[in-house]
Amino acid sequence: MQTKEWLREALTDLSRSGAEYADARYLDRESESITVRNEQVAGLSRKSDCGFGIRVLYKGSWGFAASARLTEADVMKTGRRALEVAKASYLTQREPVKLDDSEPKKGSYRTHFDVDPLAVPLDRKLELLFGAVKILRQDKRIAVAEGEMSFYRTDKLFLSTEGAEITQSILESGAGIEATAIGDGDVQRRSYPSSMGGDVATYGYEFVESLKLVENAERTREEALALLTAEPCPAGKRDLIIDSSQLVLQVHESCGHPTELDRALGTEISYAGGSFLTPDKLGKFQYGSKLVNVYGDATIDGSIGSFGYDDEGVPAQRFPIINEGIFVGYLTSRETAPVLGRNSSGAMRAESWNHIPLIRMININLEPAENGPTLDELIADTGDGILVATNKSWSIDDLRLNFQFGCEIAWEIKGGKKVRMLKNPVYTGITPQFWNSCDAVCGRSEWKVWGLPNCGKGEPPQTMHVAHGVAPARFRNIEVGVKK
Amino acid sequence: MIGEQHILSLLKRVTDRSPAERTELVYMGGRSGLTRYTRSAIHQNVVDENTRVYVRVAEGKRLGVVTINKLEEDELVRAAEQARESALHQPENPYFEDFPQPAEYRKTQTYFEATAEFSPMARAEVMKKVFIQAERLGFEVAGAFTSGDGEIAVLNSNGLAAYHALTHANIAIVPVSEHGMSRAGAFSHDVSTIDFEAVAARAFERCAMNRDQQEIPIGQIDVILEPNCLAEVMMWMGFIAFGSNAFIEGRSFMAGKLGERSMGENITVYDSIVEPEAQGLPFDFQGFPKQKVVMIERGVNRGVVFDTISANQAKARPTGHGLPPGMPHGAMPWNVCIEPGDSSLEEMIGSCRRGLLVTNFHYVNGFLDPKKALMTGMTRYGTFLVEDGKIKHAVKNLRWTESMLRAFSNVQAISREREVISDEGGMFSLMPAVYIKDFTFTGVQKE
Repeated sequence: MQTKEWLREALTDLSRSGAEYADARYLDRESESITVRNEQVAGLSRKSDCGFGIRVLYKGSWGFAASARLTEADVMKTGRRALEVAKASYLTQREPVKLDDSEPKKGSYRTHFDVDPLAVPLDRKLELLFGAVKILRQDKRIAVAEGEMSFYRTDKLFLSTEGAEITQSILESGAGIEATAIGDGDVQRRSYPSSMGGDVATYGYEFVESLKLVENAERTREEALALLTAEPCPAGKRDLIIDSSQLVLQVHESCGHPTELDRALGTEISYAGGSFLTPDKLGKFQYGSKLVNVYGDATIDGSIGSFGYDDEGVPAQRFPIINEGIFVGYLTSRETAPVLGRNSSGAMRAESWNHIPLIRMININLEPAENGPTLDELIADTGDGILVATNKSWSIDDLRLNFQFGCEIAWEIKGGKKVRMLKNPVYTGITPQFWNSCDAVCGRSEWKVWGLPNCGKGEPPQTMHVAHGVAPARFRNIEVGVKK
Repeated sequence: MIGEQHILSLLKRVTDRSPAERTELVYMGGRSGLTRYTRSAIHQNVVDENTRVYVRVAEGKRLGVVTINKLEEDELVRAAEQARESALHQPENPYFEDFPQPAEYRKTQTYFEATAEFSPMARAEVMKKVFIQAERLGFEVAGAFTSGDGEIAVLNSNGLAAYHALTHANIAIVPVSEHGMSRAGAFSHDVSTIDFEAVAARAFERCAMNRDQQEIPIGQIDVILEPNCLAEVMMWMGFIAFGSNAFIEGRSFMAGKLGERSMGENITVYDSIVEPEAQGLPFDFQGFPKQKVVMIERGVNRGVVFDTISANQAKARPTGHGLPPGMPHGAMPWNVCIEPGDSSLEEMIGSCRRGLLVTNFHYVNGFLDPKKALMTGMTRYGTFLVEDGKIKHAVKNLRWTESMLRAFSNVQAISREREVISDEGGMFSLMPAVYIKDFTFTGVQKE
């Protein structure tokens, strides 16, 4: 491949020009997104995006430049530009960057699929989406019935001056449906299998078919309609069971983001914020109850938080983050891990060729409890509580402490039974207090990996595909509703 | 910069060669530099150069879109062929009539050579001075400084050809002390108009004040919200109320309620590309000229923004607020402004018997109950208790949960001065400071 030779030449040129380290990433992505709304195709676009980025370390300062122009001259020019940028960074340097001693790798990685979604005829995709939407629309109170599909094929090449050479080919497929019911001044929404585009995995079109959107449309519609006449969720302190479709976002915001080491070290402090989990807490902070075990794992088959190597060429790993409630690990990079005397956990990811890699979530999972209950058993074990499902709104402070989440639906639990549906449930808490109130996590049979394709971080903003394996869990004495 | 003539002639050749009945091409490209810093040192410094061409074709009322980031003519023609193939497999869109006709555009001045040529070293030199100033005061500085240029062109088979160039410079200075932090920022198309020292001085002054934060009880209290707070709220208003889809589908609090009052008589909210403080892109991503749209006039619901397709659906006129082709969100406001009042921040503080001065919001979410514009978020970068007309002390960050319709019905004063808040690409908001009575706080930031 000619591009590879040009990138290699550019890295050699940078080494000769005084760079102590440089890497180059080439990325070629084909994607398709389809949104069907009511009887229309509301959005349908096929995109191709291709280019390269070169990252340079000069006297301990970073520079990065990227271009979509794939000629030999442009590759060389972009490398030189990255070096100039690094020299500008050096002007303000206080501490030189030192990378860990991760061994440079040569290798390749490819996800597996049965049916290439980008080769599936458009008619077939539209037939599936319109089929589901038609069922959602069978009641005129459903003002908006929506079906979505998204597909991404990403081919990447990574080269470094240390000798790394890695190719990866990752295919992702996702889909979901959503019904919005409107009546008497109220708007209620119900989604399947989850909100914000549904679920996404590194499989082919077979994953979309396995979601059974058509088969789940009637229930989705009926729940949206029932919410219009449901009572609002009452405010007060209640025991709270969080279904996995909502717990995924709770883990994302309150376990995943605060354990990104770059955030904890202050590099996001002027944008998305810092973290209350500062390095002095590592190994001793009681983050949650003994039932709370959280780990990072980029090796889970089929998950969009998985890969062979991160965007610094570090192999995918599994590592503990919260162990029996104690905070023990961060998501790290080659630059940040040495602060802890460790090597990178392989969590550096870039949205595309024109973005610099940042520490991003991979699969950040809540371990199911050994011999833990099923969701039905957990409900039966709850005398007076609220069960919430599917995220509707989310907000958390700049240290990842004070959060408030809204869900699409809730049920009141009395005497171990779901007794009535409730609308507009909101719950709020302080992260460590909340996780320390966890007194039950469901077992392996309820554990599911949810793909979350819209994690935002960094400037310019980068959207990352991450995932979380979670099982429903119960939290005692949680503030539900809006306290005034 | 590729240049108007080069881009438009390329797009014209592709349109001529397109096999589709009708073709529309949208070009976006440019070079953007970003310098990020923390602890008074640059930790991220990037430059990227990219192009994107949206190829949208129509076969009767069937539409197809393909997007690529290549500029070779043959690749673009192939994209048009693929878009046509896609269109032929789609159902008709009954609301599509045609791509827009050629139009005259307002002249806006958004391109400045000084900004286009502002280099990574120039950004580093500015920041080095700020870091030295900060060190003298015992602060470290975080933030980001971006600068760059961009070109947008739209050309269609009706003969419409639109081109606009712009530059942007945007700086955020976040001083951090062992006691707290603050933030000040500035945006301009012309980097030479930004007074970096003044921005830094404003940030340093606030950082010095933000110490010994005390916890105050949650509940309702008067607030003075600085412009950044309103910019976040208005961005959400675009999603849940002022955009075409929310209105047409009945999710907006304005749906079916035009002419009714939803806010106080002193609130006027509009979208405009030509204001004394800022100028924007003169056309949308269909090449339709941007109109001034008043969404809320003296508290009364007046209208929302449309592109050509959503306008047909709503039996309204397009307002020039179409998004790039292929996106499912309908039309959205780009340049939301709140009409200024006759007060000032100092006067608001002076008139406040007991309240909070809030400098920034953080992580606002407006999906709680869109019909009430019920939102939640946190305060950030300095929240101060005001008593008897004076700032008394800093308080811990607070969570608020409030219907913004209720809040905008309780506005007691609006500042004359407005601040331009933007990132790049022709989007900006123009916000005053406001005094709101009885704003609802529902939680505190604590471990």
